[in-house]
Amino acid sequence: MKFNWKPYILTLIVLLILFPFVYMVLLSLASEWRFPDLLPSYFGLRNWLKIIGSETGLLHSFLISVSISLSVATVSTLSGFFISRSVSYHPKKRVLTLLTYFPYILAPVVFAACLSYFFLRMGLFGNATGVIVAQFMITFPYALIFFSSFWNQRTKNLEDLVATLGGNQLQTFFKMLFPIAKGMLLICFFQTFLISWFEYGLTSIIGVGKVQTLTIKVFLFIKEANFYYGALSCCLLIFPPVVLLYLNKRYVFNKLV
Amino acid sequence: MFLEVKNIVKSFGSEQIIKELNFTLNAQNTMSILGKSGCGKTSMLKIIGGLLSPDAGEIILNGINVANQSPKHRKIVYLYQEDLLFPHLNVFENIAFGLRLKKLPENEIIQKVNSIIASLELEDQSGKMPHQLSGGQRQRVSFGRAIIINPALLLLDEPFGSLDAGTRQRMQELFKKLTKEFDITSLFVTHDLKEAILMGDQIAFMQKGRLKVYQDKTEFINDKETGVQDEIGFWDGLKSKETISKH
Repeated sequence: MKFNWKPYILTLIVLLILFPFVYMVLLSLASEWRFPDLLPSYFGLRNWLKIIGSETGLLHSFLISVSISLSVATVSTLSGFFISRSVSYHPKKRVLTLLTYFPYILAPVVFAACLSYFFLRMGLFGNATGVIVAQFMITFPYALIFFSSFWNQRTKNLEDLVATLGGNQLQTFFKMLFPIAKGMLLICFFQTFLISWFEYGLTSIIGVGKVQTLTIKVFLFIKEANFYYGALSCCLLIFPPVVLLYLNKRYVFNKLV
Repeated sequence: MFLEVKNIVKSFGSEQIIKELNFTLNAQNTMSILGKSGCGKTSMLKIIGGLLSPDAGEIILNGINVANQSPKHRKIVYLYQEDLLFPHLNVFENIAFGLRLKKLPENEIIQKVNSIIASLELEDQSGKMPHQLSGGQRQRVSFGRAIIINPALLLLDEPFGSLDAGTRQRMQELFKKLTKEFDITSLFVTHDLKEAILMGDQIAFMQKGRLKVYQDKTEFINDKETGVQDEIGFWDGLKSKETISKH
């Protein structure tokens, strides 16, 4: 009988994928783990408890990151949905769509450097509002492009149908468009949340170190060579996207398929 | 006259799509409008339904000029070739959609929808989602959704164009039955000669943005422009060839 290597290779691949994540959790629970010690001298919840005590400011960074990403994702998803409708039905749709790609011509850091003067003049430099506005400038065009496929002739016909059946604009949105676009709205929210959550270049320039999101904090710990806190902040960084991914999988993707 | 369309003109850029559109229609009658693709049939229906603005002209419905009214106030329902059922609603809710927009009491909605469902012979399908229905069933739901709000005028833009021959025939019969049952006034656009003759109390022919309304079916059949004579010639030719080959 031929020996079947497939399950073993598969298990090895799964272990290799999972290893960095498991190791990161273990590292966040350890301290004073020096070469050539096989095990850390301390293994427990001390690092995590410090977060609750806010000694390192990680909890504060986590809350700031959640607030910024939720604001950016909500505003860009909703405004992207409404404005992409106007763009898609506009006679000069092609020119306007081309303009939406403009923020992606430049690297975010260069883009932020170009805009920094205006942010400084408007008093948006070094505060969370400025970071939200800056990140919005990246996520909003993304949402516009994302929803452009939704606004097609069929959707226009459906809107017209609701109008001839006696519906007003508000009823068209709440009784027809939002329910039909529910899956796309959730996916766009998830994507823009992730873009904002992992954003570093724009945030570091517009936030000038005063707005310390988790991504900024991870880089600081890496620079300080404090890999225990680095691992801990990475855990915090990954936790919300994992929750969102689960919710999306559970409630959106399964229903879309 | 229930519907009077006077001097409607519509251009897109330099091209005039609708040229001096004039016709009248009695209440509870159906006018079949025959025409090739791109002759301006859909634009004409959309102008009457309020989905396109005319450059000039009047649309008088039941004595009121509705040309400047928004679609939601006209009580004119436009039905596309595609059934356009709402994918997030089941058959019952699709049909109830117009009544829910009007915020009618729940009991009244249930009673009206069930009555329409019975007329459409869709009793066993009310809980099904649109993707679980056949083409003919979907088109019936689409009719029900339009008829239930008791529109003053129904505009049908090649509604059976995507159906197979058998289903198409059944739908034509059902439509005739429903127009009588619910006293419907309608404009029925088609590019099928037989369908135009079968469905209309009045027949019109549209060519390059101009609409010609015929006095009766004989005048329509005798007009060479409509293509009926060519059709008759084709079948007669086929018949005589068969007779010769038998001899």
